[in-house]
Amino acid sequence: MNLNLDGTKPIYLQISEWLEREILNGNFESDQKIYSQYQLAEIFNINPATAAKGLNILADENILYKKRGLGMFVTSTAKERILSKRKNETLKRLVEEIVLEADRLNVSKAELIEMIKATSIGEVEK
Amino acid sequence: MSVIECHGLTKKYERNRALNNLSFKIEENKITGLIGRNGSGKTTLLKIIAGHLKETTGEIKVFSEKPFNNLTISANLIFIHDQMNLPTALNLQEILAAAAKFYENWDAKLAYRLFDYFSFNQSQYYQDLSKGMKSTFNIILGLSARCPLTLFDEPTTGMDAAVRHDFYRAVLKDYIAYPRSFIISSHHLNEIEDLLEEVLLIKEGKAHLHLPVEDFKEWAIGIQGKSSIVQEWTKDREIIHTKNIGTDQSYVVVRNQFSDQERQRARTAGLNLTSVTASDLSVYLTGKTEGGIDDVFNHG
Repeated sequence: MNLNLDGTKPIYLQISEWLEREILNGNFESDQKIYSQYQLAEIFNINPATAAKGLNILADENILYKKRGLGMFVTSTAKERILSKRKNETLKRLVEEIVLEADRLNVSKAELIEMIKATSIGEVEK
Repeated sequence: MSVIECHGLTKKYERNRALNNLSFKIEENKITGLIGRNGSGKTTLLKIIAGHLKETTGEIKVFSEKPFNNLTISANLIFIHDQMNLPTALNLQEILAAAAKFYENWDAKLAYRLFDYFSFNQSQYYQDLSKGMKSTFNIILGLSARCPLTLFDEPTTGMDAAVRHDFYRAVLKDYIAYPRSFIISSHHLNEIEDLLEEVLLIKEGKAHLHLPVEDFKEWAIGIQGKSSIVQEWTKDREIIHTKNIGTDQSYVVVRNQFSDQERQRARTAGLNLTSVTASDLSVYLTGKTEGGIDDVFNHG
């Protein structure tokens, strides 16, 4: 998606990412029914059409599937798909950003790798 | 089904065109934000939709009928604005009781729950209320009437921030429970954008943009960096807003038509790309000049 790097992220993307986190955290198992667009609209105080857009992104990526008249459900491969998406898209983009910024600051690759190694997980906000 | 459809709608006051060849269509059960500067024709448009004013030329249909002087339209629509003509001889409780007789879907329970929540007193008179309390009472009428089409013209005038937030939440909850069409005009686009499904932006009496709100937010992109580089990247593009920062930096807003690769290359070239908020974009789009107020002072 387009503008996620740039601060203000579209609401529907924030919705789909929130749902992904819910699935990753195990709050929704496979074949379990996920929130409806109206429940999401209530929770986040947004227009139901916007919430639907967030759900549809996940349906397009086979993280959710539709049952006619019943709503959206979590697919059996949802977790893997989310993890691989995050690795190949989000993490890759973050790395590109870091490399770019390091370049601007004349930080060498080796130095950067040292910094990454020195960053203990405990200090990093999850 | 479309709730409102208009073609070439024009309204003249004397020689002045408040609406100038306005055309758009609003589908059923959507919350639409009507956005525009002061004097852009928002209120005139709402008055014509409500049947309070007759168009000069052009065509308008509300629920497939001409709205002017039309009883069916009056019964199916409520128009809330800050010049509400409510009876001065009735107290608030009596006004609510009277309103119940006018509107088929009137929800008296909702009306009284909102009435209590916002701490009104039954024996108060409308004309004695403060500006913000008047607006709050108006929205009780607007929501409880549960009309198929609800028009809110600047509904939050005079309300404090807490009441405004309560109002937005109340509209959303009632809309989810009873889907129907809303048109809300407001100067607080940043506050209402999450509530909206679509934005109708009017400028000088014409429909300038009519888009889903999410598309509106991605419609433009802000580019900031060294002026020479920014210039190179924005030439041949539709420039919406420009601002010079410091000696050699500038911020330019253009249509968001860059591919992912282009965006990546722009970043590598040292440019900072940012999304443009809906409320900033509406300000830029409805401004007369690219530089806004700064242009007035730049004639030195």
